[in-house]
This record gives sequence, C-alpha cells and structure tokens, in this order.
Amino acid sequence: MATKSIVNESRQIERAIALIQMGARLQVLESETNLSYERLLRLYKEVAGRSPSKGQLPFSTDWFLTWQPNIHASLFLNTYEYLTKVSAMEDIDAVMKAFKLYLEQIASCDVEPLLSITRAWRLVKFVNNNMLTMTRCSKCGGHFVTEPYENVRHFVCGLCEPPARAGKSALAGGIMVH
Amino acid sequence: MTTDQIVSEIREANLTYLMLAQNLIRSDRAEALFRLGLSEESADLISSLSPAQILKIASGNMLLCRFRVDDDIVWNLLTNHSTSKVNNDATTRLHASILMSGRFAEAM
Repeated sequence: MATKSIVNESRQIERAIALIQMGARLQVLESETNLSYERLLRLYKEVAGRSPSKGQLPFSTDWFLTWQPNIHASLFLNTYEYLTKVSAMEDIDAVMKAFKLYLEQIASCDVEPLLSITRAWRLVKFVNNNMLTMTRCSKCGGHFVTEPYENVRHFVCGLCEPPARAGKSALAGGIMVH
Repeated sequence: MTTDQIVSEIREANLTYLMLAQNLIRSDRAEALFRLGLSEESADLISSLSPAQILKIASGNMLLCRFRVDDDIVWNLLTNHSTSKVNNDATTRLHASILMSGRFAEAM
C-alpha cells in the first residue's frame, strides 16, 4: 500500500478535518485515518481551536436501547444502511454522510439531535461486531436498533408502544408523545 | 384547468424535477440516491442527460416523478391521521422518516 503517497495523505487530512468539524473525538480520528497521534492533535487544535476532550469513549450498548436515544439511533442507522446499500463507499464516508442526513431529518422535525458523530460511529462498530442489530417492528414494519437476540415475532418498537414514562421530559427539543 | 394548462404545468414540474435530480446526483451521488429514492441505473441515466434531452423528455402529458410513499402506515404518519399511541406531530414525522429510510433499503 502506498502509505507515503501525498495524494493519499491529503485525502486523510481532509477527512480528519471534516470529522473534527462534525465534533468527532480524537479516538475516531485515530481509528479512521492513518495519521500519527501528534499530527492529529495539532490538526485538532488548529481546526477546533481547542484541545480535544480527554477520557474514554462511552462504551456501553445500553444507551442506544433507551427510549429516546433508540429513536435517534434507529433513524441514523436506517439512513446509513440505505447509503451503504445503494452505493459502494468507504465505511467512514458512509457514517459521515448518514450523520449529515440524520441532522437534517432531525432538524426538520424540530427535535434536538441526541446522537453525536462519535456515538454514531460507535453504533456502526457495535452493529458490525454483532453487539447490536436492527429488528423489524411487528406493528409498523420499521427497523429499530435492538439487542441481537430480540424476539423477532413479538418485537414492537418504542414509537408504536411508548413505555409508560416516555416523552414526559420537560426538556425542550426532546421527543414528545403528546 | 384547460388541457393546455395541464400540459404546461406538468412540463414545469418535470423540468424542475429533472433539473433538481441532476444537480443532486452530480454534487453527491450517494446522498442523491437517498433523497430521490432512485435506483443507481436511473440516477446514471438522469445525470447523463443533456439540457436539450431534458427539455424534450419533460414535455409530455405524463408526470415523470412518482409518489414515493405507497403504504398506508407511512402515509397515516405523515398526515398525522394515525391511530397510534403517539399523538405528537414531530414524533410521528420522525417515525415516518425511520420507516421511509428503512423501507427503501429493503426494496433495493
């Protein structure tokens, strides 16, 4: 592989810049580009104007299964799967495009985005590693993010059967039931 | 509406549609396929049309773009006529978005 190719390197830097502008954490950049940690750190400071957040990434699959995040995650993942099905492209490009489309769709529904690019990237990794999957709702037929061993025949999504306390949040920009 | 009016309105709609589709496909193919709900073949075809061809194709008595939602659930959600437990406009639209982006992935 031409790791020293200048064209390739400029492409990597471009991708890294786009990811930083979307608010990606440094771990995403390290995993999706082959630029060195030092260069990424300098790039991050230059583009974002501040040091990257420290600490580990959220690593639990549970977050994606709670009511409100699940709806956001499902919208993103459906969009992502659509893109990867209709055209061949690198995984990270599909994640970035799907995330952009997700933000558009959320904005058109007057809801605050809950998913960050880092979360979205993480979700795709979980699905690739079979730690999460999508299951078809037996009522509406939509595909929703679930655990891999969800009962397919009886699964009903959080929008067809919202849990008792769902949508009661007083926070603005949340998903409401009524 | 007279027949002339109908034909010219359809022509207008066809022109707008084809030009928008062409712009979208040329600027970002994958994104355009998602937005338009087209197959790759149709997208290739539309993006290769010349302005003269577009003009010719647009003038007919039939609309070139078809209704994207052909199922009751999505339609009910979009118009908020659903009988579901959720009774919030933004949330039902969100639900429709999830169904639409999923449904078409199935059709490919």
